[in-house]
Amino acid sequence: MGRTKKMVKEELANRPDNTAFTQQRLPAWQPMLSAGIVIPGFVIIGLAFIGIGVALFVTSQSIQLLELDYTGVEQTSPCFKCSDPNAKNCMCELTFSTDTLFKGPVFFYYGLSNYFQNYRSYGVSKDDDQLSGNLDNFKSPSDTCAPYEYDRNNKPFVPCGAVANSLFNDTFKLYQIVNGAKKVVPLDGKGISWWTDYNIKYRNPAVTPLKNAFNGTVKPLYWSKPAYELDPSDPANNGFINQDFLVWMRRAALPDFRKLYRRITDGDYAEGLPAGNYSLQIAYNYPVLSFEGRKKVVFSNVSWMGGKNEFLGIAYLVIGSLCVVMSVVMLIVYAKFKFPEEE
Amino acid sequence: MAKESVESGLTWEVRANSRPYHKHKQKKSFLCFHWGRYADNLVCSYKYSPLTFLPLTLFEQFQRVANLYFLLMVVLQCVPVISSIPWYITIIPLLSVLSARGLKDLANDLTRRRSDTEINSRPCDVLLSQSFSTMQWKDLFVGDVLRIHKDQVIPADILLLCSSEPHSLCYVETADIDGETNLKYRQALSATHNELTSHPTEEALAAFDGVVLCEEPNNRLYTFRGQLHWRRECLLLDHEHILLRGTVLRNTEFAYGLTIYTGADTKILRNCGKLRVKRTQTEKVFNRLVMGIVLSVLLAALLLAIGSGVFSSWVMSNTGVLSALVVNGNPAYTGFLIFWSYIILLSPAMPIALYITFELIHTVHSLFIGWDMEMYWQPADRPAQARNTSMSEELGQVGYLLSDKTGTLTQNRLLFRQCCIAGEIYGDASVLAEDTEPMDLSWNPFSCGGLFMSATSLVEKLRGQQCPLSRQFLTALALCHTVMAEWKEEAPVYQAASPDEEALVGAARELGWVFLSRTRDFIVVSELGVTRQYQLLALLDFTSQRRCMSVLVREPEGGLKLYCKGADIVILERLQKDCPYQERIERSLELFAQACLRTLCVAVRSVPEASWEQWSKTLAQSAAMATCDRDVLLEKLYDQMERDLQLLGVTAIEDRLQEGVPETIALLKQAGLKVWVLTGDKKETAVNIGYSCKLLDPDTRLLEWHELREILQSPDPGVSFFKARQTELWAVDKGRDGEKTAVVLTGPELAEFDQRPEWGATFMSLAEQCQSVLCCRVTPGQKADIVTLVRKHTSSVTMSIGDGANDVNMIKTAHVGVGIAGVEGGQAVQNADFALSQFRFLQRLLLVHGRWSYRRISLFLRYFLFKTCGFALVHIWFGIFNGCSAQSLYETWFIALYTVFYTATPIMLVAFFEQDVSAESSLKWPELYKSGQRQELSSPLMLSLSLLYAVYASLVLFFIPFGVFYDTAVDYQTMAVTVAMAATFTATIEIVLVTRYWTKFNIASVCVSVVLFFICTRITHNPRLFQKSPQDYLFLGVSDKAFVDPLVWLTALLTAWMAVLPSVTALALNVILTVHDKHKVHSASHQPVELRSKLRRGTSLRRSSYALSQGAGPGRFITSGTCSRSTAPPVDEKMTSNNNPTDSQGQINMKDNSDAPNGTQ
Repeated sequence: MGRTKKMVKEELANRPDNTAFTQQRLPAWQPMLSAGIVIPGFVIIGLAFIGIGVALFVTSQSIQLLELDYTGVEQTSPCFKCSDPNAKNCMCELTFSTDTLFKGPVFFYYGLSNYFQNYRSYGVSKDDDQLSGNLDNFKSPSDTCAPYEYDRNNKPFVPCGAVANSLFNDTFKLYQIVNGAKKVVPLDGKGISWWTDYNIKYRNPAVTPLKNAFNGTVKPLYWSKPAYELDPSDPANNGFINQDFLVWMRRAALPDFRKLYRRITDGDYAEGLPAGNYSLQIAYNYPVLSFEGRKKVVFSNVSWMGGKNEFLGIAYLVIGSLCVVMSVVMLIVYAKFKFPEEE
Repeated sequence: MAKESVESGLTWEVRANSRPYHKHKQKKSFLCFHWGRYADNLVCSYKYSPLTFLPLTLFEQFQRVANLYFLLMVVLQCVPVISSIPWYITIIPLLSVLSARGLKDLANDLTRRRSDTEINSRPCDVLLSQSFSTMQWKDLFVGDVLRIHKDQVIPADILLLCSSEPHSLCYVETADIDGETNLKYRQALSATHNELTSHPTEEALAAFDGVVLCEEPNNRLYTFRGQLHWRRECLLLDHEHILLRGTVLRNTEFAYGLTIYTGADTKILRNCGKLRVKRTQTEKVFNRLVMGIVLSVLLAALLLAIGSGVFSSWVMSNTGVLSALVVNGNPAYTGFLIFWSYIILLSPAMPIALYITFELIHTVHSLFIGWDMEMYWQPADRPAQARNTSMSEELGQVGYLLSDKTGTLTQNRLLFRQCCIAGEIYGDASVLAEDTEPMDLSWNPFSCGGLFMSATSLVEKLRGQQCPLSRQFLTALALCHTVMAEWKEEAPVYQAASPDEEALVGAARELGWVFLSRTRDFIVVSELGVTRQYQLLALLDFTSQRRCMSVLVREPEGGLKLYCKGADIVILERLQKDCPYQERIERSLELFAQACLRTLCVAVRSVPEASWEQWSKTLAQSAAMATCDRDVLLEKLYDQMERDLQLLGVTAIEDRLQEGVPETIALLKQAGLKVWVLTGDKKETAVNIGYSCKLLDPDTRLLEWHELREILQSPDPGVSFFKARQTELWAVDKGRDGEKTAVVLTGPELAEFDQRPEWGATFMSLAEQCQSVLCCRVTPGQKADIVTLVRKHTSSVTMSIGDGANDVNMIKTAHVGVGIAGVEGGQAVQNADFALSQFRFLQRLLLVHGRWSYRRISLFLRYFLFKTCGFALVHIWFGIFNGCSAQSLYETWFIALYTVFYTATPIMLVAFFEQDVSAESSLKWPELYKSGQRQELSSPLMLSLSLLYAVYASLVLFFIPFGVFYDTAVDYQTMAVTVAMAATFTATIEIVLVTRYWTKFNIASVCVSVVLFFICTRITHNPRLFQKSPQDYLFLGVSDKAFVDPLVWLTALLTAWMAVLPSVTALALNVILTVHDKHKVHSASHQPVELRSKLRRGTSLRRSSYALSQGAGPGRFITSGTCSRSTAPPVDEKMTSNNNPTDSQGQINMKDNSDAPNGTQ
């Protein structure tokens, strides 16, 4: 028996295997779509989208948002005087009022427009090794930093590169005006950057005091203070792990963007900003008019979906409705085709 | 002499037995320089040597524009200033493509080398210094004298000098050259025969110093012009003296010949055509599209570069932070660099993975073809084979099938199946030949089987001496033919010039009328054991005009009888009045014709002595006359003799078709294919086969050359064609009669097309309205010309199918070449793209594999275009919002992995497994095949639509996230991950929509791909990798945040859904609208079988024919006595002694062949 089998096998050496795979008979599920599935499917998807859209829209509506432009283009603007490029250490003050409680936690952003942080040669102009604390790159920064690699005396910039050089250096102080007196609203600058940026991506060199690591280097061209003195109030918030620096280094996607400046979470303002008048004191340092940019501050509270975002909710509503409309059209077409005699 | 020969075109000089002379002039080459005149006999089809492999393969591969393009990309990416993506993302796939292709080429080349070696090292006997020694084919030179053994393949084109047979005759089988399996006669010049056979052969041959002057090597198989200068004599040579390479010597112990053309100069190799690289239609359309994409990418890059220049100069005019970043402070230079950066950035729109996957899919499709059990031929243990692995989708688009006849449609086995004697029908053709009950023929000592007819009543009648008509019928079969008998082991073995005759004589033998032997003057027949000797007085040979042949014999009793057989029209009009049984015999003719049998009428006439004497005198006179008058006279004379015939009966022969041929052809016709038959065989045979394999319907009107010519010459061919069709009165149904026309052409008629190239287009437009076109007696070169004609004037895909060396050229010329792996290994298979064992496997190859493959590959290409362009073109829109700075919107790892990991396997599995309908349904509804012929899925329009869809998707992929993230705190990297996620979702949803056949692998791969996206993204965002190489893993931590952010998810979902919305809508509408189409398919397949009116009568239905080989019948050899062999029984011996060719012009010379239409050119 076995022998004959072997014989047959030898004789028919080229016989193909008779398996489901080789014979292309793999068991398969062949969904048969019909109008009975397709049209209700469209309706269901459309309704789901409308549902999500409504939820998003309602959420978005509930978010309070306050935007204040302080570029100072208009002569009426309190910051007009500071918009002169020659003005140094200019301070200006913006006042605003809220009618209702601005629910907390309030996020305090600064916003720039027409600012191309996503410009490629801008984005690559940094030295990741240097920023992760590699001392070799302090002495000789990577050539990706060009043209902010060395100063005229051939001393290396630390941190080098265009991104670091252009660090946003306006500072803000917020006061609530209570009975004519200014009451400081405490701003929380801790933890505004990403955890991974703060703990992994950016490291200071393991040198104490930090200042010594910067020997033989110069501060970036546009900076007023060296990196190790960015936050005089908190020694741990200096060097490459300074929160503002980290926020700035995380590049924006689009030319109009916001970056988180502070959160208002402490003290009397943990519940939010009560109704009343406020004054925002701005140290106006950052020039934007030269490239037709704008600067603004934004106060906003957040929901589960982040900040205020009407676009997404509306888009969901539009596409959901589109699906429903389409299903109706399909139904009509189907009826015409299915019962042509009755037409 | 030399001058003369130059003038007459005979410039090819061959000197016998002078090796050094020819060796000196041998063709040699170094690099691209060639010199020398005579090719060597080495067949060399391989391309590479170990030294040249690497440069050649690289050169070939970089001839593909795509490869060059990718190389350019790699080079660009290595330039740091412009590199927007790291270089390793392109170079690894490029290297793998190059090496995979190179290895494949190498493997193919090795196979070719092996088969070359096998052919080149075949042995042959060459005369070297007085004796024959065995050498290999490749060592053969022009001018060598060879000895060919029986059944040996002839190694080069040689001039027959002499042979071991009387009169230096020899027999060759030319099946590999013209597809005819019957034997051909070749005869040496009498001068060489007389001189070279008289001495001990070897010495005489060694002393032979003739010089052959002949025409330069050419591809004309049936002509040869030359002179042999020997002993101050100039002897004319023609193709009858030449043995061609590839033919086989049969029934001849030895033949001696002088080598004239070797290797590449031989006629068969000259006929082989050039090997060309075949590209499929889809590939061509696709390549054009790729070019379009590349050009659009260049244009987009250019525009963006200009934008970048403008942006730079705007930046320069300000004192912003960016102004210092303008390279060299020169906006134009920045723009120039940005241009290249964008080319790199947009290059994933046309990724190299596409080419790898394309190749892989083709390979898998080819494997499926080889694995198919239904195309496996168990008797020969041979599966189907896709020799060219990159053509499978072309099988789904074939519009024209050009088929060889012999060995492809027919088995070339003729069987005597039925006969009608005296109105009585014997045998039953409705029973398969193999199933017929074998008759008890043990009483017949000469019976050796091979009669597939069961007619015991006939045998009883014959043996019982009851029916004189049937006895005469069989006597006619045993006498009226030109068959030779060779005695082997006490039994005659028949050698016939026509397989029909062999079948008839064989049938007579089985029934007791055994043809024993023939000499010039006598035919010996054993009639039921009684040996009778008939004196052969005259043989009125067959020509294709006369369509009949007769023998005039004197019976042993002394009476004169004329036995005649021929086509029914010819015989029926020559019958005596009131012939008994005529009506019944005519009815049987119709019956046989319906059963697709080939019929011949057999008749007899008793000739009075007086009229014979007078007739023979006139004949002798006319034989001495000048050629042209003589032919006319002879014709008349024959006419006088072949009249007042008494009809004996009808024979019916079955030309065995290959298994399943009619069914396959019917199915292919339903599938919209035009099936043409191109054969080297006779017109009669071809037409007959056309009917029997259902290629032509019984009422099909045949349009012959003279009609066609009139139509072509008329000012308005279309109208004339319509009129020509109208002339058929029976054509009641006018709407359909166009399909009921077929064109029949022969080789010489086709040659007129060469002179009138403007006819080609008209002819093709006519042929398109015809059911079929039959081309008979065409040379291999002409077969290829017809294929070229079809290719030139239609946009359809052509497919050639054949089995012999004579089909090689057409197989190479057609878009798709299929070789039938016959009994012999076959050159056809060697040159074919696909090899099958049976013609009927074609239906599965085309309707199942071809259709599926076409569908799969079209889906694959369209999906691939969509997913890669949709994903890459996003950068154009992003460029508008980042100062056209060539900033990538994706992480580099995502760009690298997207095409390989996240989206590759699902579409690959679709391209492997997708089936819209099962194999059974594909065969059941052949109409489904038509969509491939119309290129419905891969038309430029469809591909452009996919591209447009991709552009739309890229717009959605960018602008929805843009709208969501505009003026928010979301950073670039989060947006990158969101868009990447949306792109992956889009590709996944799209593949779900494309897939209709969900095997477990499909389901798994879709799930795995999506999961892989999340896993790989998490991996590349891993802090550990960042610490190892900060430059390459800059996205650390992004996915930690993004994958838990509802905003990211909602955006990605919305984007993906919006991107696929057109596709979903199209699918839904398709579902709703195609409900009715499905009904149509079902109802179309149940078309009632057409019932034809009974109006057709007369000759239109009958297919009576009698066909001999190309050219004239072998009658003259018989009457000249050169064929008689001493192997016959003793009766012959005294006859052979006075058989001398010199007195062959004796009293009854029937040389009538001079007017035979030697149709071959």
